[in-house]
Amino acid sequence: MTSFATVVLVLLGVLAARLWFLQIIGGGEYQERAEANRMRTIITEAPRGAITDRHGAPLVTSREVLNLVAEPQLLTGAHGEAVLRRLSVALGHRPGYFTAKVRKSQKARPFEPVVLEEETGPALQAYVEERRMQLPGIRLRTAYVRDYPQGSTAAHLVGYTGAIPVESAGDYQERGYLGNETVGRAGVEAEYEQYLRGIDGYEQVEVDARGEVVGRGVLARTPPKPGETLRLSIDLRVQIALEAALREQVVWSGTSTGAGGVVLDPQTGAVLALASYPTFFPGTFESGSSRDVERLLTSPSRPLLDRAIAGEYPAASTFKAITAAAALGSGLYTPGEMIDSPGSVVLYKTRFRGFNNLDHGTIDLTTALEVSSDTFFYEIADRSYRRQGWPLQDWSRRFGLGGPTGIDLTEGESSGLVPDLAFKRRTCDRETDPINCSWRPGDSVNMSIGQGNVLVTPIQMAVAYAAIANGGTLVTPTLGRAVVDGDGRVMRDLVSGRATRSVGITQNHLNLVRVGLRRAANGTGGTATPVFGALPTAFRVAGKTGTAENPSGIDHAWYVGYAPGDDPRIVVAIVIERGGQGANAAAPAACQTIGAYLGFDPERCGSGAKEN
Amino acid sequence: MATLPGQVDAGSVRGRAQSAVAGLDLWLLGAALLVSGFGVYMVMVATEGDIPVDPDFFFSRQVAYTLIGLVALFFVLRLDLERLSRSAWTLYAMLIAALGIVLVLGSSARGSTRWIELGPIRLQPSELGKVVIAFVIAVLVVERIRSMDSARMSLLVAAVTALPAGIVFLQPDLGTSLVYAAIALAILWVAGQPITHFIVFAAVVMAVVALVLYALPAIGVNVLQPYQVDRLTAFVDSGADRSDTRYQLEQSKVAIGSGGAFGKGPSGATQTINDFLPEHHTDFIFAVVAEMFGFLGAGLLIALYFVIIWRAMVIMRSAGTEMERLIAAGLTAMLAFQVFVNIGMNVGIMPITGIPLPFMSYGGSHTLTNLVAVGVLLRIGQRGHGLQPRRV
Repeated sequence: MTSFATVVLVLLGVLAARLWFLQIIGGGEYQERAEANRMRTIITEAPRGAITDRHGAPLVTSREVLNLVAEPQLLTGAHGEAVLRRLSVALGHRPGYFTAKVRKSQKARPFEPVVLEEETGPALQAYVEERRMQLPGIRLRTAYVRDYPQGSTAAHLVGYTGAIPVESAGDYQERGYLGNETVGRAGVEAEYEQYLRGIDGYEQVEVDARGEVVGRGVLARTPPKPGETLRLSIDLRVQIALEAALREQVVWSGTSTGAGGVVLDPQTGAVLALASYPTFFPGTFESGSSRDVERLLTSPSRPLLDRAIAGEYPAASTFKAITAAAALGSGLYTPGEMIDSPGSVVLYKTRFRGFNNLDHGTIDLTTALEVSSDTFFYEIADRSYRRQGWPLQDWSRRFGLGGPTGIDLTEGESSGLVPDLAFKRRTCDRETDPINCSWRPGDSVNMSIGQGNVLVTPIQMAVAYAAIANGGTLVTPTLGRAVVDGDGRVMRDLVSGRATRSVGITQNHLNLVRVGLRRAANGTGGTATPVFGALPTAFRVAGKTGTAENPSGIDHAWYVGYAPGDDPRIVVAIVIERGGQGANAAAPAACQTIGAYLGFDPERCGSGAKEN
Repeated sequence: MATLPGQVDAGSVRGRAQSAVAGLDLWLLGAALLVSGFGVYMVMVATEGDIPVDPDFFFSRQVAYTLIGLVALFFVLRLDLERLSRSAWTLYAMLIAALGIVLVLGSSARGSTRWIELGPIRLQPSELGKVVIAFVIAVLVVERIRSMDSARMSLLVAAVTALPAGIVFLQPDLGTSLVYAAIALAILWVAGQPITHFIVFAAVVMAVVALVLYALPAIGVNVLQPYQVDRLTAFVDSGADRSDTRYQLEQSKVAIGSGGAFGKGPSGATQTINDFLPEHHTDFIFAVVAEMFGFLGAGLLIALYFVIIWRAMVIMRSAGTEMERLIAAGLTAMLAFQVFVNIGMNVGIMPITGIPLPFMSYGGSHTLTNLVAVGVLLRIGQRGHGLQPRRV
C-alpha cells in the first residue's frame, strides 16, 4: 500500500514539477509566445503622393487596388501547401505556382506577406471572399498602384516607381523602408521620394488560429500617412504641345532617331516642359511584364534616355550666341566692327569653309548672327587663339556649359563637354597623332561654331539662352514647385533658395547678341525667318538655328530661342537627332511650343522649308 | 448476518439520506463530484466560442452526460458484484460483440471508428469496456489462480485482454488499448504474479515498439497510422515544426506556460478562446485549466486526482473479497493511468495517445465510464467497511 501510494505521489509530483517548470520558470517566455500567437500586425499601405502640373492637373496619381496576398505563417505544412495548390489551379496556374512564389519571397523577406496576384479583378475578389473559410492565410489586401491619367505624357520627367533595387536595399532599410515597398526609381518620382512616399500604418489585431480577427479586434493602430502632393512647374498644355511637336518632327523627317526639348521660364528657371522622344509608359515598370521592361531597357532607340537632359549633341550654330558674348566680353570684337565673311577662309594654311560656302560680305556681329555666318566667327576664333587665355572656354562655362545645370533630376543629367587643352591631352593618341595633344587653331575654329568636340544638352542651351533673355543671370532650372497638402495649401516651397549667378556680361554687349538673335528669327536674311517671320509683333521670337554635323552623317537639327523678344517669358531649346537643318526640323517645333504657351495659333508658324 | 450500517432507520427521511451514503467513501465521492463539476464548468468556458450559433452545445451535453453518469453511479451502488460475477463471460462476449460491430459498422471521427449509433445516442463501447475488462479479468484470476501455474495465468490474462485491446487498436484507438493493458497488468500485480512476468512483458513491449515503429516500416509494413507514429514520437523532439502533432504539443505548452502562477482567467485565455489550442474540450482540457487558472488551479486539480487515486487504493486494500480487491485494483489503475498519461501529454512529457482526462474531458461514454468506475469502487468500499474489519 505504502509503496503504491509512494509511486502515485512521485508520479503526480513529476507532473507538478513539470507544471512548475512550464508555468513558474518558463511562464514569461510562454506568455510572450501566447501574445505572439494572438497578435498580428497588419500593415495598412499608405498611398504615394500625386504629382501635378503647375495648375494642379494630375500627371500621376495613386489608385487603390486589391492584391491577393498570402500569410506564410498560416500556410505551413501539408495543409498550407494544399491551400496554395488549390488556389494555383483555381486561378489557372500550374499547381506549384503559388508555392514557389511564397517560397521565393520567404527566402528574400521572411515573415512578410507574399503578394500572389496584383490588381485582382472582381471575379477573383468574389472567389476569395466566398471561400474565406477554405482559404486560411489567403486574403485581399488594399494596395496602391501608380496611375497615369495623361498616359505617357511627361514620362521622362515624372520617371517611374518600382521595387527597391537590390544593390541599394541597405540604404533604404536605414531610411526606414520595408523590403517590399515601392519607391521612386527615376525622374521626380526618385528626386522627391521623401515627400511622395507614403508612410505605411499598421494595426495590431487579435486573431484566432485561422488568422481571423476576433474579439476586441484592433488593439493598436498607427494610421497610414499618405504621401504629399508634388506640384511641378510643368504646364501640361505646353508639355503636350512640345511632345506633339517633337514626335511630329521625328516622324516627318523619316531619318530621325529621337528628339529632346526643354521649355523654361527664363526669369525663374521654372521648367514649363521637358520632353524626350521616343517615350515610354511609366506604368510598365510597376505592372508591366518583365518582357516589356526588358524591351524598354534594351531597345536600340533608347526610349528611357531623357534626351532633354542627358542627350549630348554638338551645339552647332546655336553656340554662336556664346561665341558672340565671348567676343564682346573679352574684347575680341568691338561693337560696330565690320568683318569680311566670305564663303571660306584660309587660316594657318588650312581652308575653313562656311556653311554652303555662302559669302555674306562684310558684316557686323548682329548680321553674322542673323545669317549665321561661319567665317565671321572663324575670324573671332582666330583672334581668340592668338590671344592669351581661353575666352571661348571661359564664356562657355559662364553660360553654364560643361557642367550640370543643377535641375532637380540629379541622377539623369549629363555634363556635356567644353573642350580645352586638358581635354585634348587627355584624349589624344601620343603615339600616332602627338600633334593633336595641343590646342590647335582648328580647335578654336570648330569650337566657335559649336562643332569639334563641343557637346551640349538641350537643358544647358535653354539655361544659356535664358541668361541672354533675362539680362545675364544664370538660373537653376527647377521642376519641383511646391509640396502641397490635400487641400492644395503649400506646405513647402521648392523654388526659393535655388542658386543663381551672374554671367558677367554688360547690358550693352548683351543687347547686341539679343538684336542678332531677334534678326535671326525675323530679319530678311534670318535663318529662321521663314518660321517666325509671320508672327505678330507681340510674340516676336529671338533665337538661333543650329545644324550639327555628326559622325552618323545626317545632321542634328537645333533651335534655341526665347519669346517675346522684348520681354522674354519663355525660352525653348529643341534638338531633333538626325533631323536635318535646324530651320526645317527644330524651329517649327519650337514655334508650335511657344505658340501653345503664349497663345498664338501654331498655324502662323512657317514650315521653314527653305533651301539653306 | 450482522446488521449493515446502511439498514438503520430505513423509514425516516433522515434515515434514508443516511442510508444512501452510509459506508460510502465520502473522500472519493466528494473528490469525484468536485472534479466532475469543475469539468462541466471547464467544458463550458472552453467551448463558449466554438459554435457561434450554439455556445452551450458542448456544455449542455456534458451536463446531461454527467447527470446520466451520476444516476449510473448510484445504480451501481445497488449492484451485487458477486452475482454479477457469474455473468462475467456474458459481459465479455457482449463487449467483444459490441467492439466487433463498431469495427464493421461504426461511425467515425478523424479517421478512427469508435462509435455505435443507437438512435440519438452514440455509444463508445470501448469506454465501458474498461470497466468490463477490469471485472472480467478479476473474476478470471480469482476463479483460476489456484488451479493454474502463474505463467499460464499471466498468458491467459494476456490473451483475454489482447482480444478486445486488439480490436480497439484496429479502430484505431491506441490509447484505449493501452488502458486495457494497464488494467490487466495492475490486476496481475495485485494478484501477486511474480515480478519476472512483468519484466518479460516489458521486454516484449519494447520489442514490439521497436518492431512497429522502426523495424517493420523499414521493410514496408506500417502497423500504425502515420498520425499515430507522429503522435508517439512528437514529444521526444518538440520544435518549430508545424505538423499537426507538434503544433498541438507546442500550443499546449504555450497555453500551460502562459498561465503562469495564477492563470489568465476564462476570458483572457487566448490560446483556448482563439483556438490555438486544439481539442481544448477533450484531450487538452488540462491545458485549458492551466492557462485559465495557472499553477494554482492546475496544482489543485492534480491534488484532487491524488485524493481520488489514494481513496481508490484505500478501498482496494479494504475490499471484502479477493475479486473486489482485484476489481478495485483494475479500476484504480484505469483512473491513475489515464490521469498520468493525459496530463503527461498535456505538459509534453508523454506521447500523444488520445486518452481523455477522467471527469474533465468532454464525452458521454467516458464520463459515464469513469462515474460507473467510481460507483463500483464506492460499492466495494461500502461492503469492505460493512462486512469486514478494516485491515490496513
